[in-house]
Amino acid sequence: MSPSVRLQELIRVIRSARTQCEERGVIQRECAAIREQFRQNDNGGRSHNLAKLLYVHMLGYPAHFGQMECVRLIASPRYSEKRIGYLGAMMLLDEKQDASLLITNSIKNDLSHSSQYVQSLALCTLACMGSAEMCRDLAPEIERLLKASNSYIKKKATLCAVHIIRKVPELGEMFTPSAHSLLSEKNHGVLHGAVVLITELCERNTQTLDNFRKVAVPELVQIMKGLVMSGYSPEHNVAGISDPFLQVRILRLLRILGRNNDRASDAMNDLLAQVATNTDSTKTAGSAVLYETVLTVMDIRSESGLRVSHPPNGEALNVPYISMTSLLKIVQTDHNAVQRHRGTIVDCLKDQDASVQRRALELSLALVSSVNIRSLMKELLLFLSTCPPELRAHAASGIFIAAEKYAPSQRWHIDTILHVLTTAGSDVRDETVPNLIQLITSASELHCYTVHKLYRALVTDISQQPLVQVACWCIGEYGDLLLKGDCEETEPVQVTEDDVLDALETVLQSHMSSPATRAFALTATMKLSTRITENVDRIRSIVSIYGSCIDVELQQRAVEYNALFRKYDHMRAAVLERMPVIDKGQTNGEIQAPPNLLDLLGGVCPAPGDVTVSLLASNSTDSDITSFSLQAAVPKVGSTSYPTTTKPCSTTNESPHQGSFCQDTAQIDSFPTTAWS
Amino acid sequence: MMRFLLLFSRQGKLRLQKWFTPLPERERKKIVRDMTTLVLARKPRTCNFLHWKDLKIVYKRYASLYFCCALEEQENELLALEILHRYVELLDKYFGNVCELDIIFNFEKAYFILDEFLMGGEVQETSKQSIANSIEASDMLQETMEEYMSKPAF
Repeated sequence: MSPSVRLQELIRVIRSARTQCEERGVIQRECAAIREQFRQNDNGGRSHNLAKLLYVHMLGYPAHFGQMECVRLIASPRYSEKRIGYLGAMMLLDEKQDASLLITNSIKNDLSHSSQYVQSLALCTLACMGSAEMCRDLAPEIERLLKASNSYIKKKATLCAVHIIRKVPELGEMFTPSAHSLLSEKNHGVLHGAVVLITELCERNTQTLDNFRKVAVPELVQIMKGLVMSGYSPEHNVAGISDPFLQVRILRLLRILGRNNDRASDAMNDLLAQVATNTDSTKTAGSAVLYETVLTVMDIRSESGLRVSHPPNGEALNVPYISMTSLLKIVQTDHNAVQRHRGTIVDCLKDQDASVQRRALELSLALVSSVNIRSLMKELLLFLSTCPPELRAHAASGIFIAAEKYAPSQRWHIDTILHVLTTAGSDVRDETVPNLIQLITSASELHCYTVHKLYRALVTDISQQPLVQVACWCIGEYGDLLLKGDCEETEPVQVTEDDVLDALETVLQSHMSSPATRAFALTATMKLSTRITENVDRIRSIVSIYGSCIDVELQQRAVEYNALFRKYDHMRAAVLERMPVIDKGQTNGEIQAPPNLLDLLGGVCPAPGDVTVSLLASNSTDSDITSFSLQAAVPKVGSTSYPTTTKPCSTTNESPHQGSFCQDTAQIDSFPTTAWS
Repeated sequence: MMRFLLLFSRQGKLRLQKWFTPLPERERKKIVRDMTTLVLARKPRTCNFLHWKDLKIVYKRYASLYFCCALEEQENELLALEILHRYVELLDKYFGNVCELDIIFNFEKAYFILDEFLMGGEVQETSKQSIANSIEASDMLQETMEEYMSKPAF
């Protein structure tokens, strides 16, 4: 057995490997040696070997064979071995591995070890990778440590309790009594942990929240005042701010306690004003406190006089991002105040920084109103053409929603949507095409204008599928208007029947067209047969070619259209006549515009319509059926889980004999409302 | 809470990874790849904040190392910058003018220091001196035990 290379030597050797292959070779040899030594239970070098293995693991190589060694090292009495064993456990083990359960007993023993540093290792590991079972097992131990120990252990036990509550929320009740008493500690570490613990408890349980609201607010205000007004404290000072970490956590807890509660909010008002005035925000630490103060002031019901007007300074590059994040919070309550900054926000749309652009986009969409829609939309459309690709879908859907809500005229609305489709057509959502078609049918005076614009767009570029689909549909529907040539709203252009059919055929044959697009084009071609006069034969030949197309959908359509030409020619005009205006209410139920523009995906909620279910069953048992019941399961909209509610809706008392059929129909029109949330 | 903390070099080599939520190995590797790509692609004069899935990413470059952490929605990004800075100060105090090589060759010590500062994704101790004292005492405990057992440390 070759003598094992010490850790730093190994690192040096690996780093000096000139190629990836050489590095792999070194590591494989070393791992083989380590595996061998693990098997032999070599007492001297165990922690060396695990340390080497952890380094190799960080480089990305497999290290699962070290898991049992971690378990063994943790159980060792030597501190150095425990230390590296626990580190290995945190890196290699997680709750999915079986080996993690094996260390529960070691952790339990170490939690009552005489040395606080061993206790701290155990606490840290539990807080990092403790599974729900481990947390349940060890919670009583943690609670004991919370009460009776020195502040070093107390602060760690507190954060361990936070982790336990995150894993097993029911255990929150166990820690609630001790949490309050921890607030009277002087040690900042314990205090910080206590605030985090109380925050976690309040976020999960409204009863606890109410209790803490009554008792904790005055204490927290007192502590905060002490931090803000006290003199220089060298131990906790960061750039002139006394313990910004603790200040920010306290502000966050106050925000949760003061939300929707006037009494608690009143108790904090003075304090928040004091913090806002006294905090020096030229460095990041001060800005962080001020930022949190702004968020808190916005969330609680504070007096309108307490509006933080000076923006956070700090590092110049972060100022736009942080200011806009604060404004996003403000815009929900005080819309007009933010409108004043519209110019700056619009400028930020053109910033180089993608994060700043994202915030500016969200703010701009929130600022859209019927007053500024035209000017703001110009900026947004300009942004859409130059924005980074990850923001395009967000921008496109935001623009659609804004346009739908505030469109000053139907023509403007159609123009805007067309602009978006030509600029960012591949990034729009699927519902855009039917929505746009519905919009076009309802704007009957604009059919001529719309079809001309769409034709021009189609001829220029057929790569954006949604645009091509809408254009094909319109040309099919309103082709006669296109061929008439004259249109008041746009300059006249002579379009012959051949041009139109050429355009549609190009779409049909292009490799860029998706199957759905080609289906649109084929149907449009067919519709034109009743709208044009001279080239009906050309249409017949196009349609018959697709009768042998590989795509089954297209083939079916082509065959049916062919039949329309041959056997049912007398019906053709009636079948292909212009469609009536589509009523939005009939498509998929009522679609309410989302109340909050920032909540782009959360607001659309189709209401249930009537559903009819028919059941046809045959009796294949030996005896008669006396009754059967029909149950309908309702899947939750928008969720990937399976049916979650069932609604038994009818029973029948027919008694069909063996071999006979029975049938029932049920109307389901009263779904539980939760099914649609 | 903080979901994870990564340190990587300008060439994208990982120097330290701390995960505060359980994730399978494959998922972790993917996240590391995504983070290094995203952060290294940032232009020089841009802010320290990024958006990724439903998390806020805060990163800061110190010499040749990028310190990158992921926060949940309600966390304070500016405070996260302070947290990263505090960690760098702790490393600097321990190693004396810390550089990337110190973290490479003494990665386990970097982890020990981190474990005294952060726990479960939250700040554990806000006093630099207190953390420095604990680390010193733990090292002392390790050395005396080792001397007693007359075996070298790593």
